[in-house]
Amino acid sequence: MTNTKRIVRAGLLTCIALIIFVVEMQIPLPVSVPGMKLGLANIVTVYAVYVLSVKETALILTARLILGAVFSGNISALLFSASGGFMCLTAMLILSRFIDKKHIWLCSMFGAVFHNLGQIIAAAAVTGTLSVFAYLPLLTVFGCIAGLFTGICAQTAVNRTEKN
Amino acid sequence: MNRKSRILAVAAMAVIFLTAVILAVHFYVKPKSDRVNIISGGQIVRTIDLSTAEDCQFDIIYEGRRNTVEIKNHTICVISADCPDLICVKTGAMGADSSGPVVCLPNRLVIEFEEASADGKSG
Repeated sequence: MTNTKRIVRAGLLTCIALIIFVVEMQIPLPVSVPGMKLGLANIVTVYAVYVLSVKETALILTARLILGAVFSGNISALLFSASGGFMCLTAMLILSRFIDKKHIWLCSMFGAVFHNLGQIIAAAAVTGTLSVFAYLPLLTVFGCIAGLFTGICAQTAVNRTEKN
Repeated sequence: MNRKSRILAVAAMAVIFLTAVILAVHFYVKPKSDRVNIISGGQIVRTIDLSTAEDCQFDIIYEGRRNTVEIKNHTICVISADCPDLICVKTGAMGADSSGPVVCLPNRLVIEFEEASADGKSG
């Protein structure tokens, strides 16, 4: 694949992630817990982990995090989403070496767990209290379910695009 | 991916999930004490005993940003704030049946129950 194609592919994936991110902001959640989100934009990250190179995946995630913070107008949330995002990315990059393309959903679920962990560590550092860890179990429960869903989506995308 | 590593990975995920479910349920049971700490920017700015506190309202200001806290019927909640997401307001009251901390990350505010200490008070 030429460099131009690589850049275009990374750009398009960033764009898709941002669109999902912005649409997701309009979906109300029945419960309000700090930091709880569906994280549908992670579909693109999971896909990229399995299809693109490490560097490209990290660039897509970085661009999505920064532009997402700009679009949502919530710059203060960037710290939490970035620490969660990169923790999740690191975990998934390591796990993707062991988990094959038929079990991407599993990798995504582990990624979600680490995403929540990263978020909470950042929140604890910022607020200077450990009591925010009380939210970790709840976030993890919903994170696993959301991670399973994003994983299935990414898995479908990876397997379908490989056939062509 | 062989059978063994697959079972291992699924089992690890199941353990994480079940632990989280158990802890999440545990976290929503009754509070351990009546005393709540209001922590702003990492500093305890107020400690309130909910069992004796009068109903009142007050503002917590952190770097010019405001959260209005209300104490009512021995529960405590944030009724308004100038943060963008208002999660602290939507969290609702803590006291009678919720021990979850009220957190406002943009304004660095945490309202939490004090860990049960050996001050002889019956919880």
